[in-house]
Amino acid sequence: MTKISRPGTTLPAPAGLGGSLVVGTLLTVALDMVLLWWAALVIGVVVVFAAVAWTGRLVSGGRRAGTDGAREENTVLHTTLVVPTALVLSVASGLLTAWFLDLSLIEPVAAALGALVGSAAAFLLFHRLSTMLALSFAAVLAAGVIAVAVTAAVLYFSGIPPLATFDRMIEYGTRPDSLVRIVNDGTTYYLAAVAVAIGFKMKLFNIGVDGQYRLAALLAAAVGGYVMLPPVLSQIVIVVTAVAVGGVWAGIAGYLKVTRGVSEVISTIMLNAIATGITAYLLSTNRLAVEISTNNIGTPPIPESSWVPGVPAGFLGSDDEIFGFVFLAAAVGVGYWVMLNRTRFGFELRATGESQTAAEASGVNVKKMVFLSMLFSGMVAGLVGLPQLLGSSHYYALDFPTGIGFIGIAIALLGRNHPVGIVFAALFWAFLNQAAGILPFDGIPQEIAVISQATIVLTVVVVYEVVHRWGRRYQQQQIGKQLGATAGPTTQETETAPPPPGGGSADGEGTVPGSDGKRGGEAQ
Amino acid sequence: MSSTPSGDGALAPPAVELRGITKRFPGVVANHDIDITVAPGTVHAIVGENGAGKSTLMKTLYGMHRPDEGHIHVNGREVRFHSPSDAIRNGIGMVHQHFMLADNLTVLENVVLGAERRFGIGNRARTRIRTLSEQYGLGVDPDRLMADLGVGERQRVEILKVLYRGAQTIILDEPTAVLVPQEVDELFDNLRELKREGLTVIFISHKLDEVLSVADEITVIRRGTTVATADPDTTTAQELATLMVGGELPVPELRESTVTDHVVLSLDGVTVHSAEGRAVVDGVGVDIHRGEIVGIAGVEGNGQSELIEAIMGMRPLASGRILLEEHDITGWSTLRIREAGVGYIPEDRHRHGVLLESPLWENRILGHQTKAPSVRGPWINKAGARADSERIVAEYDVRTPGIDVIADALSGGNQQKFIIGREMSGSPRFLVAAHPTRGVDVGAQAAIWEQLRDARAAGLAVLLVSADLDELIGMSDTLHVILRGRLVAQADPATVTPEQLGSAMTGAGLGGAHESTEGEGGTHD
Repeated sequence: MTKISRPGTTLPAPAGLGGSLVVGTLLTVALDMVLLWWAALVIGVVVVFAAVAWTGRLVSGGRRAGTDGAREENTVLHTTLVVPTALVLSVASGLLTAWFLDLSLIEPVAAALGALVGSAAAFLLFHRLSTMLALSFAAVLAAGVIAVAVTAAVLYFSGIPPLATFDRMIEYGTRPDSLVRIVNDGTTYYLAAVAVAIGFKMKLFNIGVDGQYRLAALLAAAVGGYVMLPPVLSQIVIVVTAVAVGGVWAGIAGYLKVTRGVSEVISTIMLNAIATGITAYLLSTNRLAVEISTNNIGTPPIPESSWVPGVPAGFLGSDDEIFGFVFLAAAVGVGYWVMLNRTRFGFELRATGESQTAAEASGVNVKKMVFLSMLFSGMVAGLVGLPQLLGSSHYYALDFPTGIGFIGIAIALLGRNHPVGIVFAALFWAFLNQAAGILPFDGIPQEIAVISQATIVLTVVVVYEVVHRWGRRYQQQQIGKQLGATAGPTTQETETAPPPPGGGSADGEGTVPGSDGKRGGEAQ
Repeated sequence: MSSTPSGDGALAPPAVELRGITKRFPGVVANHDIDITVAPGTVHAIVGENGAGKSTLMKTLYGMHRPDEGHIHVNGREVRFHSPSDAIRNGIGMVHQHFMLADNLTVLENVVLGAERRFGIGNRARTRIRTLSEQYGLGVDPDRLMADLGVGERQRVEILKVLYRGAQTIILDEPTAVLVPQEVDELFDNLRELKREGLTVIFISHKLDEVLSVADEITVIRRGTTVATADPDTTTAQELATLMVGGELPVPELRESTVTDHVVLSLDGVTVHSAEGRAVVDGVGVDIHRGEIVGIAGVEGNGQSELIEAIMGMRPLASGRILLEEHDITGWSTLRIREAGVGYIPEDRHRHGVLLESPLWENRILGHQTKAPSVRGPWINKAGARADSERIVAEYDVRTPGIDVIADALSGGNQQKFIIGREMSGSPRFLVAAHPTRGVDVGAQAAIWEQLRDARAAGLAVLLVSADLDELIGMSDTLHVILRGRLVAQADPATVTPEQLGSAMTGAGLGGAHESTEGEGGTHD
């Protein structure tokens, strides 16, 4: 956070970046001749990272002597956390890129491009990765390790070899068809998690995403099935219907909270139950439903002109299609980020979530914010069922997926309500679901995926909170130290200038150098 | 009233001895070099202004947090408390200001809750409670439902809870704050009873008359440290008040009057009701002119907070009008009032002034989220907000490594300077300053006074509410005293002394204040 990029004084930043890219890529290509591609890539990226670190230190070492404020930052033990995290991240990003490209490109090209990305990441992360962000990554990493260990322990004590099981899951989970499924499920999960996250940002707990999307999907499917409209208009009407229904359903909870003080947790749970009742009532052949097959009823199938076409997944090596709604999900993610970080509304929303009293004193209409954020949460929740509806099943029947709203809660927690964090969380969740699908064939209970999911949510929440708190305290100490060093002389000057202010004067200034010295001693 | 068992006290080791206690929180020193010796079998009072560090000290003694430096001795033995249960094991119990009782349980159940292992939960416990209640004259029936008890009885249950756990030293944190006068008398009878039975009581308060009537010894805390130990027999309330607020601190002073005839804010019969329908602000009327600082003195809880919240549109008025120059702003939203040019330095900056976990530049937007340079239409103007934050940091001498650090990382004084810089930006017409220098170190205090003075000279009208009487007297052009929601006296800051003001605030010494103001004072309506 306090760390800003330190472009070299001797060589400008673009040159440094270019240099590392060239070195990394060439080294990887050369090593690729004699080694496996991934080994070559790992070595290439690590070498680049070392080079960046070495030059970075050399360059900024000269600068550091001049400026007082930044001096403390690099000497501390903290570098032992930020730098390794940056290294792990850049190697991982290089490997992932290469592996992904390998699905559609020939291997040497994929490795070279992977090395390119890895080297760029190495340069940027080393210079830009802030302490707090590094802490977050480290927390997630630690949580992942703990979750894997717990899952392995469960497997081991059940008499199942853990490593073989993980190997099997990874192998199955990375097959092309699995990847398409993962992206498709992830799209749905992403929308659900963003809906929950909007509430979380306000400290509102929208448990009702489940009911909101089911009701929205049913009514949108009914509109699509019964109302015949020209192609593009039809999709728009269906989406608008879903958004409106979701918004209204969540809006009820928001309205009750604002006017009657009803806890949104209670009201959304109730509304879930009511939504279940309403869908059961409407989904009958006397009302909205028609017979789909011998023992399934649902809304009449939506005509093909109203479908949302999928993206052929040939580049992943699969014949299946990725939901076209993946783009809508991306747009929702971008919109969520822009709304939160760039608009006045988002600022007021975050302010209310952080401190309702401060928001109120600053003129934020807290009740309005509560209602609106509940409404927006419900509107996004209305979209959750649509990828499935318009991309795959084309009707709302008894077998329409349920429970996604609750998965969304877990994923929002896992992704720390961050639009990018949620992407990874949603894909990871979908990966575990998909990869576990192979296990029954080997006689291994599929539930181990659920165990890992549960463990990782718990550990991420706990570890992240612990690390976050620790990081905050650390930052405060750092700032205290920095100011103790820089502000010391000035305070002494001001102290001598006015007439001696009496007994109280020693508190403020006297303790800062004291604690400073103590910490310095600890560090040494 | 103060029958100190002096002879025994000298021989027996002190019940509690605190030596050089220092407790730091990030960026602020709550306690430093505290030295207190509490003789056994006495009522020892600890007095000090709100925010002087009394509660922090008692939390240290009760094991709720550990001191950074210093030693605690109990009955002559050095102890280290890691949690309140350690303190309880060493015979120290605490009665909190806010009762921690479950309404739907009986007295017996409340008392044994968490201490089931001592005497079980049945008849043995009931007998024990009866015995204790009789021994100390508490008059508590173990089988009554908590919901049926009054405030005074609840407090006795809290005391009984502490005794039941074997406490020899009882800490009472502002026990009289919730009591009516008769209940206070009963409580003091109970305390004398406890003392007679050989227990030690540590009594925290800022009500001086009560302290003088019940304590055997008084320790005064100011700005986080012990400044004096007084004997109630030879000390007057005024001397204690002087010790509490500290006469020798740098006195803020206004140079020359800049008051004009132009009224900026006019309060007319402003009345605010509490949730129970009681008038907490009662018919307050005052005019604040351009270039004038109007000070409101009063013991906390006499309607100052409610008055401020009413002006800021955070609390509805029961009756009366508020005029901001030509506009009647009664009933306007907080946002609209702020947009009309009213700045607000809240009394509790952590609750109302900053977003602790947000960076400084985002805190620049807070409260100004509809005005340039922070926003452009519905969009946040990040560059503008950042540039203006840099300006505030430079102009108001906010000590921070940058504007990207979260507000929580700064010390209280620097947070406050940032808030003041923020509230002064956009050239407000009127400023509400509630305790602008509370919890702020001396250097920052002088800077804040200087800024207020400059703004006043530039024509700002200021309503200043403070518990620091020196600050009020030194900074105000006009000074009002608020008591039970009413403005009861007006004093001339040029001639009034903190002591006179102090007695006017308690309602007892009104005459003194009147005399000092040469008959100028009186109820303003």
